[in-house]
Amino acid sequence: MKILLWSLIALALTGCATQQPVKTDMSAFQAAAPRSILVVPTINKSLDVDAPNYVLAALPVPIAEKGYYVFPVNTSRYVLEQEGYYEGERIHQEATPTLAKLFGADAVLYVSINRWDAQYAFITTTVTVEFDYRLVSKDGTEIWKASKRMMYQPQNNSSGSPLAMLITAAVNAAITRAAPNYMPLTQQANQQVFILGPTAIPDGPYRAAALKQ
Amino acid sequence: MRFLLALLALMLLGGCAAPTLYQWGGYDQALYAGYKDPTKMEALRLQLETHVTEMEKSKQKVAPGLYAELGTLYLQSGSAEKAITLYSKERDAWPESRTMMSAMIQNLERRQQAQAGSEK
Repeated sequence: MKILLWSLIALALTGCATQQPVKTDMSAFQAAAPRSILVVPTINKSLDVDAPNYVLAALPVPIAEKGYYVFPVNTSRYVLEQEGYYEGERIHQEATPTLAKLFGADAVLYVSINRWDAQYAFITTTVTVEFDYRLVSKDGTEIWKASKRMMYQPQNNSSGSPLAMLITAAVNAAITRAAPNYMPLTQQANQQVFILGPTAIPDGPYRAAALKQ
Repeated sequence: MRFLLALLALMLLGGCAAPTLYQWGGYDQALYAGYKDPTKMEALRLQLETHVTEMEKSKQKVAPGLYAELGTLYLQSGSAEKAITLYSKERDAWPESRTMMSAMIQNLERRQQAQAGSEK
């Protein structure tokens, strides 16, 4: 009990100071200063045919919470299908200005799924997701990119960092070995890339406005 | 002691997470479930409907995209009228959505007129 108390105190004191090593260059992003982001269906390089839809479902919340208007992903997908774009591959080949104009978007987010798999071994199961992210402004300039791999292995939870331990605990609860659930990993990858990590995008207009109040 | 512990735990939880801008009413989870099993899209529609109604009742801003997503689910279940209403709400709540929403509303209205014309 005592130990628990002290560790909680220590944690509370250190709070959430995440060290940010090298900050990504955001000048292109800031020059474009997008207000709205269109998230188009993803490219899938994994073997799981369902992965693109799941990734699509997990993208809007963190980006909107960062203060941007995110076009409704399911509705956007519906519109793209009406326009004859069914495959992520086909959409990613289309010129960004064309897509941006169709929706009136300031920037388009392209995500490709590189890995989305579970490797089963005797005792451990390793679940891996890996994504490439690319934001292109409506004039066709790439303004930001990032990539993230997240792995989960049930035993590996003594990495020292309290935040990492908390994350592992959260993932632990969500993943059962029988049916690996990729969503918590995907959500963490998005959190890391857009909000917590060194590639975090600047606050969008709606978050900036909320912070001023 | 117990109280202190609870307090610390609370500080810890509150300290990290930046305050959220919106309430999502379980949108991402329900959309994920709908993609996983298309029969659950109906559940997503009901869930969004309840959430949006609650938000409006308590005069809170509906998160970006939710009106439109609900509208599209209505459209896909054959209710263009409801879709137009919801797309208009999205357009009025979020100026960034104007181009897209106006185009969708126009499209549906044109379709409705064409239908009305052919029925005469």
